Amino acid sequence: MTADGPGPSRASGVGAFVRARRTSWERLAELVSRVDSGRLSLDEVEELDRLYRRAAGDLARARAAFPGTDAEGYLSQVAARAYGALYRRRRGGLGAALRLARDAAPAAFQAHLPALGLAFAFLAAGLAGGALAVALDPLAAQALVPPEVRDAVAAGHLWTEGLLSAAPGFTGSAIAHNNVSASALVFALGLTFGAGTAWLLFANGLLLGAVAVHCLRGGLGGPFFGFVAAHGPAELSAFLLAGQAGFVLAGALVDPGEWPRGAALAARGREAARLLAVAVPVLALAALLEAVISADARFGAAVKGVAGLGLGAALWAWLLSGGGRTPR
Amino acid sequence: MALSLEVAGLGPRALAALVDAVILFVCWVMGLVLYSVAGDLLREVQALSVAGQLAAVIAVLLSGWGWDVAWEVLGRGQTPGKRALGLRVVRSDGAPVGLAESLVRNLLRAVEVPLGYAPGVLAVALSPRRQRLGDLVAGTLVVRERRYDLSRYDPAAGADPRFASLRGRAGALLAAGEFERLADFLDRRAELDAAPRARIAALLSAALSARAGSPAPDRDLAEPFLEALVAAYAEGR
Repeated sequence: MTADGPGPSRASGVGAFVRARRTSWERLAELVSRVDSGRLSLDEVEELDRLYRRAAGDLARARAAFPGTDAEGYLSQVAARAYGALYRRRRGGLGAALRLARDAAPAAFQAHLPALGLAFAFLAAGLAGGALAVALDPLAAQALVPPEVRDAVAAGHLWTEGLLSAAPGFTGSAIAHNNVSASALVFALGLTFGAGTAWLLFANGLLLGAVAVHCLRGGLGGPFFGFVAAHGPAELSAFLLAGQAGFVLAGALVDPGEWPRGAALAARGREAARLLAVAVPVLALAALLEAVISADARFGAAVKGVAGLGLGAALWAWLLSGGGRTPR
Repeated sequence: MALSLEVAGLGPRALAALVDAVILFVCWVMGLVLYSVAGDLLREVQALSVAGQLAAVIAVLLSGWGWDVAWEVLGRGQTPGKRALGLRVVRSDGAPVGLAESLVRNLLRAVEVPLGYAPGVLAVALSPRRQRLGDLVAGTLVVRERRYDLSRYDPAAGADPRFASLRGRAGALLAAGEFERLADFLDRRAELDAAPRARIAALLSAALSARAGSPAPDRDLAEPFLEALVAAYAEGR
């Protein structure tokens, strides 16, 4: 110790304590804020570590001797920030996003295949139920198919005509927003022990199945499948991923294992997040396809089909094959 | 050593959300004006219309679901509203939030918004660490950062011009530890009775001014001399 002196004894005042230590606290704060915004040299990292340890000691002393003072509050804040800077796992930013896409998301996907199976089962049950109901009893369409779709099919065209001629950009963004909202809800309702997630998957399947068969019966099968071909696979896949994420959350509530439910929820929440990080951009992409390609007659059904199935297949191939390493 | 963070309550968080909403609203008004001006232009150039559509999709997603996520990830846990109110989203261990945590805590709004944020408000009010549902699932906290002004602990401004000669020399006049004892005396002198207080000040100032090679200051200048010495010492460090 040099000019700073041996440190204040317990009896000394808070003013002397602050004056003796302030320089090193402020240096610590400066280093911490540079961790967030830039890089530190090796010497500076060592200095950060040393200053943090001293500040932690100072904080202990301040808590004991000067509780409730600004000095204690300041130290507490600086020490907590320094702790976060020193012990964070990894830097965020673009690199983290790349790692997430390359390793963490596929790994989370593969670790929770049963949840995916559950999501698929509810969606498929809805699809089959809706399709069967309308196929067996056309009157079911009254209940299951939205009126504007029924009116359009009765008039001999798809409801999508006129949808995109007005302002394709805004239509696409509205679709994207709605799809992300629906998927967010499918995920978030995992908090209802999965009941809400299951119901939403089933209800959306029901709607899609009923509309598909209704169009088929109305002689519009070709245009309908042409319309959904481009964006449907990607959109349904993303919806399934959101359902998977919802059931992952539900799993933490139903069977938290040896953990308290809150801790299990936070741990599974991180897993679910990786699935969502895939689902959300895919939904945005699907919405763009829907707005730009799906309703555009210049693209043939074959082009749409190849594009849509190709995109869907690429998504599944990536999720199933990627991520040799488990995250962290 | 247990570290503690001050978690933020309902009021500042609601205010921060309001600030963000106002900023978004202004952005939208400006965006619509721009669109109505540029829309005609874009329609002229067919090739650009896809770019325009892409921009619109991204803009809507950003203002709806992406706003908080983008700011929290890129802005070290702070949206503009949170920054204005000194709030920050951190992981429960104090580290900055990442993309995954931010996505979860914000996508869980999907169950809170349709119910008028009632679940969120209840959860914030009831949970010990003031966590919204999204915070509970993502393992995040919203902490409040205060601005502390340590200069209030500075020695009483010792810029007494009569002792200006002490500047730059105080470091040599005080041995290690003496500075703190001297500062300690000045901090706590109000607790002393007048007579012993004056006697100690006189003794200290006589001893220290002898070191400086100057005559002892008058009795009523003893404390200003000591203050100036402490200030010069703190300045020189």
